[in-house]
Amino acid sequence: MYSGFLATPPTTATYDYLFYWYLFFGTAASVVVISLLVFFMVKYRSRGDGGPEIVHKTEGWKVVLVTVLISISILSAAEYQTFASFGNIEIPNDPNAVHIGVQAFQWGWTFTYPDGKTLLNNLTVPADRTVILNISSKDVFHSFGISMLAVKEDAIPGKVNQLWFLVPDPGVYKNAIRCFELCGVGHAFMVADLTVVSQSAWDTWMGS
Amino acid sequence: MTDTWLKRWLYTTNHKDVGILYFFTSLYFGFVGAILALLMRAQLAAPGSNLLSAAYYNQALTMHGLIMIFWFLSPVALGLANYFVPLQIGAKDLAFPRINAMSYWIYLAGGILAVLSFFVPGGTANAGWTTYQPLATLALGTGPTLAYLGMVLLAASVTLGSVNFMVSIIWLRATGMTLSRLPMFTWFMLFTIIAMLFAFPTLIAAFVLASTDRILGTVFFTSTSIQPSILWDNLFWFFGHPEVYIVLLPGFGIIANILPAFTGRPLAAKNAILISTGLVVIPLSFGVWMHHMFLTGIPVSLQGAFSIATIAISIPFDVITLSFIESLVRGRVKFATPMLFALGGVILFIIGGITGVFLSSPVLDRAFRGSYFVVAHFHYVMVGAAIFGIIAGIYYWLPRMTGRMYNEKLGKWHFAISFIGFNVLYFPMNLLSDMPRRIFTYPNQGDWATLNAMASVGAFIFSGAQILLAANLLYTWFRGPIAPANPWGSPDLEWTSHVEGIAPIAESGAAPPTGGWIGQLSGPPQGHETQSRGGAVGHYGHLSSRPIQISIGALVFLIGAAFYPSISGVAGLVVGAGAVVYAFWGWAKDDIEGKFVVPPEDVGDRWPFASVPKLKLGIWVFLSSEVVLFGSFLGAYIFIRAASAQWPAAGSIHEIPLGTFNTLVLVTSGLTMFLALQSIRKGDRRGLLTWMGVTFVLGAVFMGVKVSEWFNLGGSGFVLADPAMSLASSAYYIIVGLHGAHVTAGLLVMAYLMKKTSMGTYTKDSHEAIENFGLYWAFVDIVWCFVFPLFYLL
Repeated sequence: MYSGFLATPPTTATYDYLFYWYLFFGTAASVVVISLLVFFMVKYRSRGDGGPEIVHKTEGWKVVLVTVLISISILSAAEYQTFASFGNIEIPNDPNAVHIGVQAFQWGWTFTYPDGKTLLNNLTVPADRTVILNISSKDVFHSFGISMLAVKEDAIPGKVNQLWFLVPDPGVYKNAIRCFELCGVGHAFMVADLTVVSQSAWDTWMGS
Repeated sequence: MTDTWLKRWLYTTNHKDVGILYFFTSLYFGFVGAILALLMRAQLAAPGSNLLSAAYYNQALTMHGLIMIFWFLSPVALGLANYFVPLQIGAKDLAFPRINAMSYWIYLAGGILAVLSFFVPGGTANAGWTTYQPLATLALGTGPTLAYLGMVLLAASVTLGSVNFMVSIIWLRATGMTLSRLPMFTWFMLFTIIAMLFAFPTLIAAFVLASTDRILGTVFFTSTSIQPSILWDNLFWFFGHPEVYIVLLPGFGIIANILPAFTGRPLAAKNAILISTGLVVIPLSFGVWMHHMFLTGIPVSLQGAFSIATIAISIPFDVITLSFIESLVRGRVKFATPMLFALGGVILFIIGGITGVFLSSPVLDRAFRGSYFVVAHFHYVMVGAAIFGIIAGIYYWLPRMTGRMYNEKLGKWHFAISFIGFNVLYFPMNLLSDMPRRIFTYPNQGDWATLNAMASVGAFIFSGAQILLAANLLYTWFRGPIAPANPWGSPDLEWTSHVEGIAPIAESGAAPPTGGWIGQLSGPPQGHETQSRGGAVGHYGHLSSRPIQISIGALVFLIGAAFYPSISGVAGLVVGAGAVVYAFWGWAKDDIEGKFVVPPEDVGDRWPFASVPKLKLGIWVFLSSEVVLFGSFLGAYIFIRAASAQWPAAGSIHEIPLGTFNTLVLVTSGLTMFLALQSIRKGDRRGLLTWMGVTFVLGAVFMGVKVSEWFNLGGSGFVLADPAMSLASSAYYIIVGLHGAHVTAGLLVMAYLMKKTSMGTYTKDSHEAIENFGLYWAFVDIVWCFVFPLFYLL
């Protein structure tokens, strides 16, 4: 996935590894299976005159067994990789984490900072610190996603969902945040910026 | 002539006619859905385009989804099933021909509601086909109401249809048509029907609750205290995931069915395919719905569990796919158009299936959910595998339906352009995993513009290719060369019973043909004379005006409901209800007067239900779907109770002594119904009449108490308008009301049965209707035994 980061954020790194793992085996499986289909289709095409003896037996448990065994192996390995990546979706127990409230509404985002300040459509976070978002919605079902960090959680009225991320270096990412659940006519414009500031700038801002 | 032609198509109950009606109606809805899709693709062809406003775009995407899934995909499969399942199993018709016609007309009425919804002020539903709450309910207006009521009708039609197919496939197989010989299409329709039977009742419950919120002001999805979004998610996806297989399996059944015709060898691992589908996919499909809810805040452990269940469901599909491929080995593969579409469908399914494995990972889902990656995935499955399979079936069976051959060259071009267009359309979406779906416009960012432009070009190529299908259909029908009786050399009954060049519309199975397909006007004589001709029951032998009357009544009733409480709305409710009652009365009258007789089926292979009569089997199947219906409503109620911080204390609203009394009345009526049944089993008609009379009176007392309770409750402030009472009263009035409606229906049936008893219809040996009603009444009693404690005591 595209990112303009200097150093790769941990959630992005985990996602990239997992995604390329799935992509490698998924592509390999598709190529092998589709090639088999095309190969047999061509090899056993009707040539009009005779050709090889036609098989009349219906039950071939051998292929079934091999299919099941190979599927189980690859899928178990995939599931193992997924479970090994659950750090992306488990909220870390980090006492140093910054907690920020996110309230979705038709159509925008309100971010509430530890000192009570609020910003509209601008999520500002300190660099190199764990950020935990407490996401809810004022009206309808929204979904809060930052694609380049591979994080997303639904914003549901009456409910608070959490997600976490960490960005190592400061930077400004325009429209990095988007709503991913249809929420009415403003859905397409429900975007926000991600601003990552240095720890000292964050401290100054929090103190002001 | 015109009169006869019109009468035939409006009143037909013949499975082939109904199949053709389904087929053409669903193609029409497919056309509507495609136009909506093209509007969206035109809008998205370039960034920042202004062709459609956001409001129109949201309506287009919503109705594209609903129409394609519910009014095109499933019905086109049901159309083919209507035509070919009876032929494949050697039946003369489906088990309940009138109910079959009713399924069709109710499906059409639902579709009319959906199409009408575009034309009311404010337009139609706009919250996506998933109808997420509370957005859907907060969007006021009559349009969405009409669309959602259309969904209720559609789901009711599917439920009736599944009961019918289930009984037909189990009970109407010809002698020798054992389960091991059942053709694959019929097998896969059976699996589809089973999934429908248990999935659609939940959809009915969901859309009934959504509709009462809009019409009556209940607060299921507007209450802020119970997380209505989550209630909807659970209801919708419990239905929604099995629905994916409901859409997919008919196409797979066709592929499995036709492969041998073009390879010259039998299907490989047939039993493994059947076991994978019937015993793994179908049961498991009801246990994976929460993978649609990974991001809703469910515990990580639950996400892991549903991820495993989801990834496990790909194993049976691996078996099916590899068996399809093995079916080519050592055969002689002929590349006729149906085979090209079948193999193309398998290739597209492989791609769509593997992207599904990505989505089963909760970690990857954080990137993909709500993005175009998901759109690509399900279109590869639902359009790629399902539609390509169905198109294969259309070409394969066209010679059977028209008696003529399609144009092979045109068919091959149709395939080639469809396959290329499909991939140009959907493959780029796989790469758009950072673009949210359902946005009507987007900025020129990254590769979004290029990939979207490609997809739009592909959309026009793919839909343009379907003009070739229409052209080929017309060519075949009017100009196609006369087809050989069995052009594919298939061993299946629908071909071996076929006579060259003719498509017998009047008779099924091996009965002698009487003429061509559409436009065959000089059918056999009117009325029931034809029934005396042994097995060959004329097509005109079972015409009935009742199915379409019921459907028109239901249509008017629901249009009235959508416009309630305006005067015209109330008028619609009254007129519609009147028409439905009139039609059912006519239906019963036709039976009493012997005007509509379904020809008796020859005894065939009925294992494992040989000892169960047809209608009783139907009642059992129907009641099992009713269990899911009440289960969904009561499940929703339990969800609401669990999520509510406050609830009126037991005894403070509903009088427990009165409720207990009423429970005793209903339970006693169950007992007296049993005594009525025992009487007729001994041949005692007087006893039957007496005990059924007592049952009727007890049922009436129950309903009387109910009605008086409701009056008192309304007077004492247990109303929707009171914020403290709104949730409790919403749940009570709708769910207890639904039970009351079942009791009332029971009372009406009892009146009919008593009338027939007094006419001397039932005897010691022939009293199936009483037995069946006994089952229904027991079911109604049992439901109350759950409703009473949940609403009165807890």
